[in-house]
Formats: sequence, structure tokens, C-alpha cells
Amino acid sequence: MTLLQATQQAFELLLGGDAALWNIIGVSLRVSTLALICAVPPAVAMGFALATFTFPGRRVLVVLLQTLLALPTVVIGLIMYLLLSRQGVLGAWHWLFTQQAMILGQAVLAFPILAAMTLSAVQSVDKRAAETAKTLGAGRMQAMWTVLLEARFAVLVAITTGFGRVLSEIGCAMMVGGNIAGVTRNITTAIALETSKGEFAQGIALGVVLVALALAVNFTMAFFQGKGLTR
Amino acid sequence: MNSIFSLQNLRKSHGERLLLNVEALEMLRGSTYLLLGENGVGKTTLLKIMAGLEAADNGNFQFDGQSVNNASERAALAPRLIYVHQHSYLFYTSVAENIGYGLKLRGIAKNERDQLVAAEMAWAGISHLRDVPPNQLSGGEKQRVAMARARVLKPELLLLDEPTANLDDAAREQVVELIAHMRDANNCVVIATHDKELSEMQDAVKLKLEDGRVQ
Repeated sequence: MTLLQATQQAFELLLGGDAALWNIIGVSLRVSTLALICAVPPAVAMGFALATFTFPGRRVLVVLLQTLLALPTVVIGLIMYLLLSRQGVLGAWHWLFTQQAMILGQAVLAFPILAAMTLSAVQSVDKRAAETAKTLGAGRMQAMWTVLLEARFAVLVAITTGFGRVLSEIGCAMMVGGNIAGVTRNITTAIALETSKGEFAQGIALGVVLVALALAVNFTMAFFQGKGLTR
Repeated sequence: MNSIFSLQNLRKSHGERLLLNVEALEMLRGSTYLLLGENGVGKTTLLKIMAGLEAADNGNFQFDGQSVNNASERAALAPRLIYVHQHSYLFYTSVAENIGYGLKLRGIAKNERDQLVAAEMAWAGISHLRDVPPNQLSGGEKQRVAMARARVLKPELLLLDEPTANLDDAAREQVVELIAHMRDANNCVVIATHDKELSEMQDAVKLKLEDGRVQ
């Protein structure tokens, strides 16, 4: 089969509503969205706390976050695998090779990006924002909330970046999800499998979807960045 | 008692440098004070210390007869005491929401808030800017919003840091009008300024800050 034929078949699969293909896309979107929903509140809270408060160990936490940013997804996958395997600390949950395991793994993956970008976003808010809030009668918590609201566009950029990262990762999903058809097979693990089998049509079709999603994510990010920059 | 704010033995250093060393200062209701002095003499620092946005190294402070020695106690006086920055910061939301910010914090219902905000916008001549975000405002318009945002809260002591810097004549007049309005309502305004016209204002008490002391 030539590349042209494979591409033609890929679009036929996509436009024909191939159930297996759309199931894979559904798994990807569901897992990545839920992972983000789990990771956003604690990560944004941590990024905000690191940007706002000085406390012993703060510097260590910032360095740790920055290190986690550079950690390969497969290493995070390995750590999660060891934690979730039968003899692991979380073995009793019986989550290995389930969507829950993928969600947990991707949430761990997204956490440092979200926290580090929130930290940077909050630090870049003008110092006068908190002062203005306080002088207009805001208490400590209300002033902090106002500062977070002022950083909202940059925090949305962080969330969009995090979504892009978890959607396109393969290492963690493969290791803790197991690439089980109809259950834990997502776009990236399916592309790897189909390509290794020489089934390029489905791989190309999923690749097209992934690129389209990446484009959508980046356009969304550019929109939020634009909103934040035109102040 | 006519005194709204007083301080004694205020000391503030930046590193080794003693920035402020003020023995005593008293501000009365219904008065306007002009804080004059070269750049870097500590005018902004003095206003921020009064507003509780910066802590002093030492000093006793009273507001309306009540002791407010800690910066947090002075900050808690807001919005009875309001500090307005030299380059006012507007929140990234509409003009109307900026003006209504303090009212919302005080739990004033939306209907009443909308009416108060509309009246302030009319006073400041910015009713047409109601839904405009701050990035689309000129420097003068931003200052008008900041003034309206402070005025709507009816502060008893208003601290203005270079309020006329880079303003056109109309916006400058509004600042002068706000000061007169505050004085007529028996409130107090303290203005740190370089503005020659403003520093020649009649009926204002001139305080010159030099070598950390108020002359």
C-alpha cells in the first residue's frame, strides 16, 4: 500500500465514522480532560502559594517542580506503574491497566507544568494589583483572589499547555494503561501499535486528529496569550 | 476631635539609609495637605506607610483617635483610608466593575451598586466608557476611573500619589474638584506632588519632606 492509498483510507475511516477509531479518540479526550480536572486545582493552588508566600523549603519546591518539568513521560509512567502494581503502595486500588490509572498518570504529568506556569503567571502580576485591592477594602484572602483573577489569562494558557502535553504523551499511557483495545487504547498508543503492525491507515487517521487537536489547543493558547498581552 | 490621622517618631530605613525620620505629624479633617519634595525623598513611602501598605521600622500612629501602630491595622482601615497610586492600577475588567470593586467588597447589593457606579461615572465624565477594559483607556481616563473608584467609597482620608502626573487639563481639574469635594465633606486629602500648579493650591497645608524630615 502506498502512502497516498494509506492517507486516502485514513480519511475514509475518519469521515465514515469508524467506531473503533472514534472510540480511541473518545478515550484520549476523556482521559486527558479528567486528568486535567484532577490536576488543575492542586497545581494552581501550589503555583499560587509558591508565588505569594515565602516559607522554609520554598526554593527546594520550585527546583523540584522545574526538575519534574524535564522528566520523560516514560519515567513518570514507570514510577506510576511501580506504585500501582500489585506490590506497590497503591496496589490495593487495582487500577493498573485501567483508565483511572491513565488519568492518575496524566494528572501527575500535568501537575508540574500547571504549577510552574501558574507560579510564573502570578509572579508577573503587577504588585500594585494587591495593593489596590487592599486599599479599596479587600481582606488578605480577597486580595489574593483578585491577584489570581488578574493572572487568569496566563493561568488559562497554563491549562491549555497542560492539556496539550497530556494529550500527546505516550510513555505513561502505554505503561499504566496497557493499550487495551476499547478500554485504555488512546490516540498515541494506537498510532504506535498500528504503525508497528504496518497498518498505516488508522495511524495516519489518528495522527490527523492529533494534529488537529494540537492546532486547536495552540490557537486557544494564542487567544488567551493575546488577551493577556493586550493589557 | 478634629484630628483624623497622626503619627509620632516614625522611622523607616532602606538598608543602611535612613529614609524617614518624622517626629510628629497631625492631619485634620476638612484639610488638604501637600507633601512636597525632590524625587526619592520618601513621599511615596510615607503615604504607603500611612495606608498600611508598608511597615515602618518604628512609630506610633492614630486614626480617628484609635491606635493603629501595625501596618495590618492601618491596612484594615480601608476604605475609610484610601491610597491612590501615582500610575493607578486598574483591574483587568470593565470601567464599571473597577469603580464598583470596593462597593462589592462591602456587600452592597447590585442594584444599589449600579446606581452609585453610574453616578460616579457621570461625575468623572466617563459614562461612555462603562464597559471598556483598561487597555483601551488613555492615561487621563485611567486616572479618572481611579479617582471615581476611590470617591465612591467616601474615604475620610485620601492619600493621592502624584495625582496629576501626565494628565490633561480636564482630568487635572477633576482631581482638584475631588479634593474640594473631600474638603467640603469634612474629610482629609494628602497629596504627594511635583505639580507646580497643584503645589500653589490655596488653603492647603504645605509639608516639605527633606532629609527624611517634614519641614
